[in-house]
Amino acid sequence: MATIVEFKDYSMGFKDDDGVVFNLLDQVSFKVEEGRALGIVGESGCGKSMTSLSMMRLLPPSAVVQGGEILFQGRNLLQMSDAEMEKVRGKDISMIFQEPMTALNPVLTIGFQIGEALKIHEPSITKEEQQKRVVEVLAEVGISNPETRLNQYPHEFSGGMRQRVMIAMAVINHPILLIADEPTTALDVTIQAQILDIMKKLKGTGGLVVVTHNLGIVADICEEVVVMYAGRAVERGTLKAIFDHPLHPYTQGLMASIPTTKSEKKPLHTIPGTVPTVFDFKEGCRFADRCERCTEECRKKRPPLKKVGDDHLVQCFLPFEGEEIVHE
Amino acid sequence: MSRYILQRIGRGLLTIFVSLTLTFFIIRLMPSNPVELMIDPHMSQETQDMLMEKFGLDKSFGEQYILFLKGVVQGDLGVSFGSRANVTELIAQKLPWTLLLIGIVLLLVVIIGIPVGVLAAKRKGRLSDRIISIVVTMGISIFIPFLAFLLLYLFSFRLGVLPTAGAYTPPKGEGFSYVLDIARHAILPAVTLSVMMLANAVLYTRNSMIDVLKEDYIRTAYSKGLDKKRTLKVHALKNALIPTVTVIGLQIGVMVGGSVMTETVFSWPGIGRMIYDAVTALDYPVLQGGFLLMSVSVVLMNFLTDLVVAWLDPRIKLGGK
Repeated sequence: MATIVEFKDYSMGFKDDDGVVFNLLDQVSFKVEEGRALGIVGESGCGKSMTSLSMMRLLPPSAVVQGGEILFQGRNLLQMSDAEMEKVRGKDISMIFQEPMTALNPVLTIGFQIGEALKIHEPSITKEEQQKRVVEVLAEVGISNPETRLNQYPHEFSGGMRQRVMIAMAVINHPILLIADEPTTALDVTIQAQILDIMKKLKGTGGLVVVTHNLGIVADICEEVVVMYAGRAVERGTLKAIFDHPLHPYTQGLMASIPTTKSEKKPLHTIPGTVPTVFDFKEGCRFADRCERCTEECRKKRPPLKKVGDDHLVQCFLPFEGEEIVHE
Repeated sequence: MSRYILQRIGRGLLTIFVSLTLTFFIIRLMPSNPVELMIDPHMSQETQDMLMEKFGLDKSFGEQYILFLKGVVQGDLGVSFGSRANVTELIAQKLPWTLLLIGIVLLLVVIIGIPVGVLAAKRKGRLSDRIISIVVTMGISIFIPFLAFLLLYLFSFRLGVLPTAGAYTPPKGEGFSYVLDIARHAILPAVTLSVMMLANAVLYTRNSMIDVLKEDYIRTAYSKGLDKKRTLKVHALKNALIPTVTVIGLQIGVMVGGSVMTETVFSWPGIGRMIYDAVTALDYPVLQGGFLLMSVSVVLMNFLTDLVVAWLDPRIKLGGK
């Protein structure tokens, strides 16, 4: 199985007005294999979106890459020139953004915006061929009457339809890696289900990264999971490993807070406190302040990365059965 | 759409009517009498009365007003008290000169103002942007008549490279040399009039461009693999131009009659100068004609601006449903 994208100890942060850099993503490592979907989960502000934007090299201007590599089919994306990156974006790596209402240009037609993604990477394409492909891809994502809708503007589409247009735009070049950043967050539940069906169909050949705070979506489409907390990948492994045997206290907290059909009529589990912001991250474990099992050690040092069983890694001081320290 | 246009025309006519009425009475409430200015005090009372009658000044305000409105509807704006020229013809003769200046100003806004605004937005916070911002602030705050005199002093008086007054050097030349002569005369008034418009165009383009560049759809454009140039040109500019077009369009409307100071300083034979002369001479018919033209041009430019904005932004439905 070929690796499509691999993060190796990738770190990035934000520069404030005085040039002081605050670290956000801290030595994040994971990989996405061909034909598989990886779910990146965590609360708002934990660095999920920055992780996905890093793969597109579309970080905001105040962002600073501090180290590590992002290998895409073996090539380090971080070292590509802008021109090389422009060839990769939209062709080999595409992204679906979380705000269908604002992510489309209000003054350009849908047909133009989708067709442009095609034309930019295949300049020799004829007008007829371009139009044909756009109509095909719109039909693929479930938009009826694609020929007429082609000439309409984003404001003439509902939120769910706009998200389909976003997906059409992202997949028209059959990218090797598709990144979906909260693809269904802004949509109502029935539309969510339809969009997820489309996403599942797209998984086929390339790799898929789904960024979400919704564990249900992860369980639905992903094979691998990375749990992020305050910029660190605190636990990662196969879907089964993470869902059946969550090791990190944060993951356990997340799992316990999902309502199930068997839940009794009592308040759901909550994790006390909130995610710290990038400005008050401390030396030790970033979850320490909210952890019920926090010790002195947790506050002093960064927790070691441990391998527990096959394909299951966790970053925590707690002892686990059969653990094997990967690095301190 | 046609219903919308009818509505707009109706509203425009109403606006023009109200402004005409106000102008008519305000002019007549001025604490001075045109006859005194026009007529030699040594004239006999008889002659004075005859003149009063000839210009219709012996009638009551109400009667004069009705006659005036009748004339306007028929395209007859009366006869100038001073030159005895037909006011409609006078305007037709002056208007092209003012339109020429406005044309130059618009051209400068399009080829200089908008690109400079885009450049400043692209280099936000860098040295070039700061310099542009300083120049723009100066352009907006400068007192235009002062600038006019300054330019006149520098280029016409001190350096002597440009003519001091008028639109051409009499006698009227022919062909290319005539055009060139007009161009030389137009430089200073056009530059003076452009300063504020350019400053506004740069400011509005820059600020809305900066806002637009933060929009999610710009990130989407980059995510498709577009380079910076194409993203700016295709995805940002059309959105960013909407406020600029609105502001410039409305200002152009005002400019048709509003460049009184500049045209007077440079003795440019346009509408502004005509209005200035008419005010000094209390030439009621010319003043009325000038103000009518001003309100028509403001109404017209408002409408045109709306059309252009609606063309730029498909979310705006003219007329609505």
